[in-house]
Amino acid sequence: MESPKQHSAAFSRELTANIEDFIAKLKRGELQGSKTVALKTANLMRHVVADSRWDHGETLKQLLKTVGRRLLKAQARELLIINIVCRVLHIVSEAAPQTNGRSTTITAAAATTMTASAAAADTAGLRGSETPAMGLGGSVSSRNLADQVSTSLLRAEANLYHTKSDIISEINEYITEVECAEDEIARNALDHIHSSEIILTCGRSRTVEKFLLTAARKRKFHVIVTECAPLYDGHEQAKALASPNIEVVVVPDSAVFAIMARVNKVILGTHAVMANGGLIAASGTHMVAAAARHHSAQVVVCAGLYKHAPSFPFDDDRFNTLMAPDAVLPYGDARLVDAVDVVSPRYDYVPPDLVDILVDENGGHLPSYIYRLQQDLYDNANDLAWNIPDQ
Amino acid sequence: MTNPGADSGNFDIVEHYNGLLKENSSISSPVAAVDSLVKMIEKQHATTMLEFMMIVRTACDKLKKATNNSISLSAGCDVFLQQMARLSHAQSVDECRKALIKAGTDFVQGAGRCRDNVAEFGSPFVRDDQTILIHSYSRVIMGLLRRAVKQNKRFRVYITESRPDQSGLRAAEELYQLGVPCEVILDAAVGYIMEKVDMVLVGAEGVVESGGLINKIGTYQLAVIARAAKKPLYALAESFKFVRLYPLSQYDLPTYRSDLLSFKDKAAAKVDWQAELARSNPMLDYTPPEFITLMFTDLGVMTPSGVSDELIKFYLD
Repeated sequence: MESPKQHSAAFSRELTANIEDFIAKLKRGELQGSKTVALKTANLMRHVVADSRWDHGETLKQLLKTVGRRLLKAQARELLIINIVCRVLHIVSEAAPQTNGRSTTITAAAATTMTASAAAADTAGLRGSETPAMGLGGSVSSRNLADQVSTSLLRAEANLYHTKSDIISEINEYITEVECAEDEIARNALDHIHSSEIILTCGRSRTVEKFLLTAARKRKFHVIVTECAPLYDGHEQAKALASPNIEVVVVPDSAVFAIMARVNKVILGTHAVMANGGLIAASGTHMVAAAARHHSAQVVVCAGLYKHAPSFPFDDDRFNTLMAPDAVLPYGDARLVDAVDVVSPRYDYVPPDLVDILVDENGGHLPSYIYRLQQDLYDNANDLAWNIPDQ
Repeated sequence: MTNPGADSGNFDIVEHYNGLLKENSSISSPVAAVDSLVKMIEKQHATTMLEFMMIVRTACDKLKKATNNSISLSAGCDVFLQQMARLSHAQSVDECRKALIKAGTDFVQGAGRCRDNVAEFGSPFVRDDQTILIHSYSRVIMGLLRRAVKQNKRFRVYITESRPDQSGLRAAEELYQLGVPCEVILDAAVGYIMEKVDMVLVGAEGVVESGGLINKIGTYQLAVIARAAKKPLYALAESFKFVRLYPLSQYDLPTYRSDLLSFKDKAAAKVDWQAELARSNPMLDYTPPEFITLMFTDLGVMTPSGVSDELIKFYLD
């Protein structure tokens, strides 16, 4: 693994300052909210592409991976950083398919040797090119090779400048997608919400808020919001949902099971969606989903594509962090504080069989389909060797 | 009928296949099958493409028949036939043969790496302090556990005895030599032990289109109990074991024989029940995809629904 110092020569001073600033903010926990982190990471990636010195698609990918690793070191369990970095790597792979950006006529034979040497040089992680050419994985990589050869011949005239500007415009498009994710998802609202329905939601989610408010323009329905201790952000969600067509009721978390018998539909937000369709969502979501399954209420999860993480949940706690226990048991209570261990997890893992449908910008999908979506979003979704620090 | 003298006179493919399996215990049957097919086509001299394809197909049929349609062997042969179909289009017989020999040889040499790749993808799932339950002896699972030991992970393993061939004992011996605490349990004790287990690992003879698994008898039972106890079941399989089968029940497998467990008249005054057991019991069973949590393959970790996607990409090119 190369040290960041080796690549620092490729970064301008402004870019280095930007990276350091972001890392500092991550370490201090100043960045809250999925979208903020996602947008900042995407902007940083774009800055790296624009400002650093590279002449080869592979070099650029290594630079991006180095920056990604440093960000992850600062906040190892932040899935969104992984999502964005992997997505940008995929964008780079598509725009600059392992050929030299300079204008040279590339023959099929040369492209083959270049791919083979690039494959040999890239020691981080595994690729399909290592499995035998005969057999299932082999056919995928040979098809990729055929595509690469044809695109490389087409791009034989393209020079470095065009590749760079292509990549940057693709990243810009991606940033716009992330910013508009909630609006796009809300366009599906009318398909899922009908008049006089009783909908339950958990805590605060801007995606769900927009989703419900969009439906409220045409339909009248009831919404029950769980408080979601210890942050109690359910209260803010209730205030945000105030609108002429929505009747909002706030309930404590303990009442979820009791009230679920009356609920038609559960609409949830999430922090991230794993490759098997499971969710990493705010603490309390698993309970709501389990109660919904018990009462046969439909569980709809609204999440933008930028929340899809190219990783399988190795265990329930790998991507979880703990919040300050003060909100659960105040430090002022001296007797208990010494005698009791207080744990306040930030997230819950919700297994895919508790989720009925995942709504993203393109519409609704089954959890079992997520792996397929991810094949289009990320290269080699299983190439995790570089990014998840094993703890 | 093509000229059988071209191959059967000097090369018996079944003998070669059996020889390979006997001399090398770490080779799996699809890899041995492909190796035998490669040796066979090296030796014969067909002059037309059609004759060439017929010879290869006949050889595959011979192998399948000799092993009672073994699932993993059929998978290997199908991969070879598909590769032949792909290469047969624009080339002369000689070029096709050379390309096929090269593809086959690369495949055989790369097969060991397939197993390593499976272990690489599966290794983050094996964590410290876990209790794992495995079924019978599977080379892929041994590869994964060996890798976990190398990564200094500490875990314990229960191994099912796996009658009638007691292959679980071989697994126990190997793990014991590696220093992993292990216990062999009766096949019937799976339900008893399941609550103490953190996860279940099984290998595969074949992975079918639905995402289900064909494996040593006892796997289905294990899967049902794991599901009831809400324990994850992970299946490990190399991608060349994906087969184009879609069994609708246990009795839908190509290895099914109607005389298995059929209450047939033994026609003897005294029956040797042990021998009868070994003879008339099935060796494989089918586990439907809903019992499998995730599959670790050399193409990556996938959910059972991902299998049919890969099959489509390969076979319906």
